[in-house]
Amino acid sequence: MMALLDRAPVELLHWFLGVLGSFGVPAWILAIISALIIIGTIIGVFLGLFALTSVMERKILARVQNRYGPNRVGPFGLFQPVADGIKMITKEDLVPRTADWVVHLLAPVVMMVPALMVLAILPYGRGMVPAEFDAGILYFFAVGAGTEVAVFMAGWASNNKYSVLGAMRAIAQMISYELPLVISAIVAAMIAGSLSPSAIVAAQSGFAFGFLPQWFAFTPWGFAAAFIFYICALAESNRSPFDLPEGESELVAGHLTEYSGFKYATFFMAEYVGMFAICGMFVTLFLGGWQAPLPFLDIVPSWCWFFGKACFVAFTMIWVRATVPRLRIDHLLAFAWKFLLPMSFAAFLSAAAWHYAGRGPLAWLTSLAIVGIPYLVLGTAFTNRFAVSRRTYQFSE
Amino acid sequence: MNFPGSGIIKGLAVTARNMAGSYIEKDRLTTEQYPEERPTLPENSRSFPFLVFDGEDPESGMRCTSCKICEKECPPQCIYIVQDRDAAGKALKRPKVFDIDIAVCMSCQICVEVCPFESIRMDQVYELSSYDRFGALVLDKPKLLKSNAYYHGIHPTEAAETDARLEADRKKKEAAAAAKAAKVAAEKVVKAAQPEAQP
Amino acid sequence: MNCEFLKTFFTDPMKLVGEWFVILPALVLLLSTAAAVVVRNLIHAALLLTLSFIALGITFIALGAEFVGFVQLLVYVGAVAMIIVFAILLTRPDQLTKSGSALSGIGPAGGAAIGFALLAALLTFVFSSPMARKPLPASVSAPVAAIGEALMGDYVVVLIVIGVLLTAALVGAAVIAMEDKP
Repeated sequence: MMALLDRAPVELLHWFLGVLGSFGVPAWILAIISALIIIGTIIGVFLGLFALTSVMERKILARVQNRYGPNRVGPFGLFQPVADGIKMITKEDLVPRTADWVVHLLAPVVMMVPALMVLAILPYGRGMVPAEFDAGILYFFAVGAGTEVAVFMAGWASNNKYSVLGAMRAIAQMISYELPLVISAIVAAMIAGSLSPSAIVAAQSGFAFGFLPQWFAFTPWGFAAAFIFYICALAESNRSPFDLPEGESELVAGHLTEYSGFKYATFFMAEYVGMFAICGMFVTLFLGGWQAPLPFLDIVPSWCWFFGKACFVAFTMIWVRATVPRLRIDHLLAFAWKFLLPMSFAAFLSAAAWHYAGRGPLAWLTSLAIVGIPYLVLGTAFTNRFAVSRRTYQFSE
Repeated sequence: MNFPGSGIIKGLAVTARNMAGSYIEKDRLTTEQYPEERPTLPENSRSFPFLVFDGEDPESGMRCTSCKICEKECPPQCIYIVQDRDAAGKALKRPKVFDIDIAVCMSCQICVEVCPFESIRMDQVYELSSYDRFGALVLDKPKLLKSNAYYHGIHPTEAAETDARLEADRKKKEAAAAAKAAKVAAEKVVKAAQPEAQP
Repeated sequence: MNCEFLKTFFTDPMKLVGEWFVILPALVLLLSTAAAVVVRNLIHAALLLTLSFIALGITFIALGAEFVGFVQLLVYVGAVAMIIVFAILLTRPDQLTKSGSALSGIGPAGGAAIGFALLAALLTFVFSSPMARKPLPASVSAPVAAIGEALMGDYVVVLIVIGVLLTAALVGAAVIAMEDKP
């Protein structure tokens, strides 16, 4: 029964294709229909998640601040995204007169395409990978690079100084954080011995002592890499505390300043879908993908575990947003280059040590030392460098 | 415990405590869900002026005597009064028109301070928004007139004080009138008595 | 989801859509590169160049070189195009519109001459290499593992030399960018 539920999406698709096939539909049309159904399902699921997150984020932020949050539209305010969508669609679509309107129009499209394309390689469940690539991880980051182009296009085409400044900040931030992001992902790929997401998930299967999941996040190097990946994921998806490309206090809304109506909604959607994609990648790389955390929980369908974990990671991102104030641009870049990058190298070395020290207690000790000591040294140096001291006023007294 | 990043963990703990706490302790949620939950206004809260009348009938119980002091004193000049006249054209001690433009009124309460007849007082209504920009924000006499009982309802202490003062004034006036009447009567008696005594 | 279709779509396109899947991105590549040269607006030229990088990546993928295609996208679209754009944005606007570079005096003919000279040099080099004379294999497949083994095995010296070169470049850039301490 549970095994059937686990395979339900696949079986349903095969049944449907079988029915179509019995009517004599040629195989190549079936292949196209199958692809379209998979694409439609994934986009539908992720847009649904986007809608849910947009309201849950506001509710969680509200609860952190001891407010109710949206609760007017529908039960518990769950239909708020519908109202938002109607509002966005019916809004006037403004294009500045001096804007480069072709680029201005294309930017949201270019933003949306990579956000949806990266969803193709995530392993959603047991045997549920839409596109099985040898170099799936590489595909994820390669396609994700398109986002930077979109941000630049949006910022430059708006012909607005805030937009350009916001776009430049965003690009500087994305390029800086992409490096530790990719290196920390490579760490997981290195231990798994493959760049394919499903192979990485398979490498995290099994339970130590019968109950401890062997996820990468539960090893010293894996924890460090997951930590770095998580921070860089926050920066890559432009989320607080790294949301200063849109810092409203200094840049109005960054590259989104001149966007309104549905184009703005498209950016918003792409940002959230991208955030979910990177949460899914995080789950795949470090949290065991679709695998259950405890052996007896295996009866829950694997895709439930995947989406459950991804939603949990998304929740922690909202939690971080509710907690940490926005960084300053120089602190942000210094953090990327002077802390995250050396730390990702340390995680890399630590993983290598783990591999060559035989994955036993000795490996634990050495890999912990290799990530722990740089963390303490760099972290202390960083904390002292940017320590908040008593402010002395020169002119006001 | 003080290690790099411990501050962020402390911060995360604070936000988590607040989030979980808002589901457990109802005291944390101070938001008033306005249309369903009404605020209990403090007694001295005030919005715009209204006119008090005594008894049941607004016209006959009106305290306003159309003295126009409030109209003169009003800093933004939002009060407009026309004195009523009878058929013969003789001025009556009551207003024919009494309008307050609450779009202009700044709730300064000077009209209340200056009114010698305790007629104008501050109201507590706050749901005054309307789709009509001009008409709906000019309150005319029927809209402004509210009973003394209503006044007691919104500002009990102040209303009781006013009533006591009015009562005292009335008593004093009655006493003065009585004294005057007695004096007149006494003079009459004296006058009546003198001629008899004179001749 | 057992979706052989998408895999075939990317790895062996001949089966499905014939040669068009290779020809189309190649066409986009040629057109966008030509447009990038012709267009007067510098930012449009940079964006068209980015498009040609993307098209080149897709052409690689369509030809079966998955890894090269992805790296092309990651490095060129993600980094090189952005560096070009940054360079343009950090240039002053009057320099953007005026063509005041050292080579602007040579005119279109001179430019074409330099271009063709470079092309000729490249082509001679390519055709004189032993690789050009090898017969084409019947089917191309380059799994990532094989590329990794080749890089870490036969070409490990080259890889390390390139690594040292890039590190030196990075250190040099950091030294140039560093503030002068008083």
